[in-house]
Amino acid sequence: MSAPTLDPAVGPVPEQPQQPGEGFVETPRAGSRRAGLGERLRGSLDRRMTAPPAPVNPADEPAFLVSSAFTMIAIVCLWGLLQLLVLSDLSQARAQDLLYRDFRQQVAAGTASLGPTTPVDQPVALLRIPRLNLEQTVVEGTASGDTQLGPGHQRTTVLPGQLGTSVVMGRAATYGAPFARIADLRVGDSIQAITGQGTTQFKVIGIRRAGDPLPQPRPADAARLTLVSAEGSGFLAALRPSDAVYVDAQAAKAFPAPAGVPSVLPESEQVMQGSTSGLPLLALCLALLLAATLGVAAARQRWSAALVWVVAAPVVLALSWVTTDVAARLLPNVM
Amino acid sequence: MSRRSLRDWLAGRDKRPLAVSVTALLLAAAIPSLAPASADQPRAAAETSKPAFSETRTIDRTFVNADGSVTPVLTKDVTVTADQTENLRGRQRILISWKGAQPSGGRATNPYGDTGMAQEYPVMILQCRGTDDPKAPATQRLSPSTCFTASVAERSQIARGAAESTWLADRYNTAADRQRLSGVDPFPNPATCPGADVPDSATHLTPFVAVGSNAKTYASCNADQMPPEAAVGAAFPPAEIAAFTDLDGTGQVQFEVRSDVENESLGCNDKVRCSVVVIPILGLSCDKPSVPSTTLDRSCRKGGRFPAGSSNFAGQGVDQAVSPALWWSESNWRNRFTIPITFGLPPNTCDLLDPRPPTGFYGSELLAQAGLQWAPAYCLRKDRFKFQLNQTSDVAGWNLMLKNEAAAAEVSSARDSVGAKVGYAPTAVTGFAVGYAIDKPDNAGEFTNLRLNARLLAKLYTQSYVGSALGQGHPGLAKNPLGLMNDPEFQRLNPGLSTISQEAGATVLSLSNDSDVLQQLTSYIAEDPDARAFIAGKPDPWGMVVNPSYKDVSIPTEGWPLLDTYIPKTEDPCRQANPGIYFNQLAAPVTTLAKIATVVLDAWPNVQTRCDKDQGTGLFKLGRIDRQNFGSRFVLGIVSLGDADRYGLRTAALQTKPGTFVAPSDASMAAALRLTRQKQENGPFVLDQADVRKSASAYPGTMVVYTAAKISGAVPADAKKVAQFIRVSTTEGQRPGNGNGQLPGGFLPIVDSGATRPLFRSAQRVAQLVAEQKADPTTDGGGSDGTGGTDSSGGLPPGGGTAGGGTLPTGGGAGAAPGGVAAPAGGASGGPSTGASTAPGGGTAPVAMPATQAVGSRTAGGLLPSLLILGLIGIAVASGVRFFVQPTRPASPGAAGR
Repeated sequence: MSAPTLDPAVGPVPEQPQQPGEGFVETPRAGSRRAGLGERLRGSLDRRMTAPPAPVNPADEPAFLVSSAFTMIAIVCLWGLLQLLVLSDLSQARAQDLLYRDFRQQVAAGTASLGPTTPVDQPVALLRIPRLNLEQTVVEGTASGDTQLGPGHQRTTVLPGQLGTSVVMGRAATYGAPFARIADLRVGDSIQAITGQGTTQFKVIGIRRAGDPLPQPRPADAARLTLVSAEGSGFLAALRPSDAVYVDAQAAKAFPAPAGVPSVLPESEQVMQGSTSGLPLLALCLALLLAATLGVAAARQRWSAALVWVVAAPVVLALSWVTTDVAARLLPNVM
Repeated sequence: MSRRSLRDWLAGRDKRPLAVSVTALLLAAAIPSLAPASADQPRAAAETSKPAFSETRTIDRTFVNADGSVTPVLTKDVTVTADQTENLRGRQRILISWKGAQPSGGRATNPYGDTGMAQEYPVMILQCRGTDDPKAPATQRLSPSTCFTASVAERSQIARGAAESTWLADRYNTAADRQRLSGVDPFPNPATCPGADVPDSATHLTPFVAVGSNAKTYASCNADQMPPEAAVGAAFPPAEIAAFTDLDGTGQVQFEVRSDVENESLGCNDKVRCSVVVIPILGLSCDKPSVPSTTLDRSCRKGGRFPAGSSNFAGQGVDQAVSPALWWSESNWRNRFTIPITFGLPPNTCDLLDPRPPTGFYGSELLAQAGLQWAPAYCLRKDRFKFQLNQTSDVAGWNLMLKNEAAAAEVSSARDSVGAKVGYAPTAVTGFAVGYAIDKPDNAGEFTNLRLNARLLAKLYTQSYVGSALGQGHPGLAKNPLGLMNDPEFQRLNPGLSTISQEAGATVLSLSNDSDVLQQLTSYIAEDPDARAFIAGKPDPWGMVVNPSYKDVSIPTEGWPLLDTYIPKTEDPCRQANPGIYFNQLAAPVTTLAKIATVVLDAWPNVQTRCDKDQGTGLFKLGRIDRQNFGSRFVLGIVSLGDADRYGLRTAALQTKPGTFVAPSDASMAAALRLTRQKQENGPFVLDQADVRKSASAYPGTMVVYTAAKISGAVPADAKKVAQFIRVSTTEGQRPGNGNGQLPGGFLPIVDSGATRPLFRSAQRVAQLVAEQKADPTTDGGGSDGTGGTDSSGGLPPGGGTAGGGTLPTGGGAGAAPGGVAAPAGGASGGPSTGASTAPGGGTAPVAMPATQAVGSRTAGGLLPSLLILGLIGIAVASGVRFFVQPTRPASPGAAGR
């Protein structure tokens, strides 16, 4: 059984547990943890780090480096994809649950915000679109971080249902993709908006894309709602929401709107803009990820792989999740 | 042995990594290949993906033998394509290319008009009235008699002997066309057509059916029986061409189309359908010969006397059966490709259809082509004003605007506003170019990649080339080259050109009046150390020196002065009678860029050195030299990019970094825009030529045309129109295309993304400021508000609340725009009465609204697929590497089996 100690020398790639004497089998053989430390250090830790173990053929060293680098690229990219397409749905669904609960309570208690100075990320309206079988709680603010929670209400406009034009932006591909199918709406479809003031039934009056004329001027006492999202074209259109699309809806009757709507919209809250405000947080998250990685490396010298896996995996997963969430704020807000 | 070792090597390896790698690679490759081309550049995509017209047909030439059997002689699969066919304008050139045709022989010096007839197997291209659509009524169908030619020789064969009347043996011709006298029925009498009816000879006339004020059928038997546009020395050179096919069967030509403005008898316009007819000449298909065969039968069966690819500079006779002269004969005519074309609205549409008084915008000619397409989008809509672009020098337009005599000025640079507050709204990104028509020697075609640097331009502008022996007497210039073509510096940059000097090679035709174009051009020269040193008096490495009259001339300058005073001493009585400054006669600058474009298009230099005697009065006179011969053209001029695109002019690449030459294109203009800086809000974007000199991709001639208007103290009615113009022209007007209101070629669309984003934003901001300006205290403030509600439709959407909604969803400019607009939205509850009084009710007629701006993001569109592809590539490479450097195990059946 001297083979196992030599085996890693020629098989430095971690994911080959089939080979006899590798990985977990090693631990019982060592008998005493301390006694086997040096051996394991070479045998296991080095296998999991990028640096090749000493006995490796020096000619293969760059190849291992390349292989490891590309493995990392693959992991980072596919993780990002997984997060944006799958995991973000989960977090958005959870955020919606919480927002719905809050908003329901506020409406019942009569404390729901009527604008125009709601803090961002607070629920301001409930949006129902029967044709799309869609029910979403609208949050205040249209920055990329806000629309991660749900459709965002543009802060320089009145709330849906109030006298004036209200703009709501929603994501088309990521974070639950609430507005993925708004371009399927047809003229005459109904959109229901519930705010603290009551329920407004909007009728869709048109779908707009770049170059189409803006809708006719709003009648003096009507409420208008413009839904904004993005859509792609061609193959994989659902994954390539590159161009803004607008749905205009109108209700003949409007609730009065409070004065004082802000007049300037920060760039980060405009359509298709990302937000850089999360950069400090991103730096922090990345630093934590780095610390976690070093921690795992150090722990592997002391404890068995199984133990480290059990302890570290959730921490690293959670950190990656948060980091990707923060990084996603750099991406366009209706993506 | 080696195969065996490879098998052993493979057997000793775990193949799973390889499988993973290959699968991942295949997946990664599948994604981009399935995804369609990006729609980000619609124009580029349209150009490369599909030509406007393309047709492939099999055409042939056959002989009927004496026994009645048919022998195919030539069979060709010919494909003809054209790059644009719709909304054409007068004198626009469209690129027609073909492949699969029979290689031509006996290439003529000038393939246009009658000089092109002495060729064999060319491709004849003509413009005809009517279409080939079988459903069109007979009057709208084309036939040889609706195809225009500029001379009789191209359409009629008069009194030909047996060897030269091969159409009589054309097996496809009707019996009527095979009579001795044919074409016009009844055949014209000898008074009309003297010499047409000669015994023992055949005549075929292809009449021309004209429309318009000369509407009648011209018998086309001599120059008198031709439409006026075909007169000798007509205003426009012939457009029809017998073009040359190369040895590989391909060829291309820029064909100039004529509207009814240029050719009334042909009469193509936006209502009359026309076509470009392309006839690859394969030779006549001959009927059954008589026994024994006659001269006619033998002539018809001839296959050409010039080898493929040869030239026929002497204009020698060719075999008629394979010449383009019989393009009308059914054997050829049935092989035609018909490219239907449509013409855009004529330039005077607005004057004819809109009785309202126009609102003049004065200034830059760079905008001319865009203005032509934009104007109908305003005047044909009752809810917009009648836009009129009046071309003046930039400074004149500016002054009119300052004095409130013009609604706005179109300028391309910062100007002194004398205290008034003026906003510059970027309206178009275009520029100037050095347009040229230069032929390669030995009839090898047109030269297409001219490269110039600042010093060559400095030499041209400072009149340092002497032109001819007359100029060599100029003090101090005796050793200078005669023209560009003799300058070693030019020859080094553009090798392979003829060095035979022409006077036109000593000059680049330029503007005589002040212009921002000259300002930018001279600052490009001034920024180049070599050019500056040359002007300061330092000879170039080949010993050429600057004209002393221009030594240390001050540049940059807005207007180029004519400083030379040298009058040649000569024995020529004509020149003695008309003493003139020779170099100024060479330069002869003109007042508009359009004239320069025409000069380059016609290859007719504006060099005024022709001196001859008027036979009538016996007096000597000076005039313009002759049009240059096809094959030896050499003419340069400063043209606008819009004109260059419309007329298909070649444009020179200018040097930026030493050794780097940049030609005008959307990409190079965008690169230049990235170098611009807006020094003050609402001000112009300044392109510093010093930055251009460091760039490898920015085109030095890039210019932004601004609509400059007062943002305080303008006439209220004008201000609304200006705001409307800025908004419409920067949204709807930036869609590339050749329809009404669209952006023609030669202009880079200003959109809310990429390099033009700051321009777009700035334009929207200025539009806002112009529209919202407080009326002068001296004018009636209430007046402008009162009219605002009903009249400002297209500009600022009426009604405060609406405006908020109208502009905001468009994103883009919203950042600045809602600053003033959205406020009323919030205040709507406080003032619903104002909203109601100014906004037209919902029941009134629809109001024209500005277009939704394009908001897009490449990040949003590309991120997810890119992540997927990168991830898959990562897996592929990682597992691939692992496969190749995995530990080799002894090749045992067990290991191989795993």
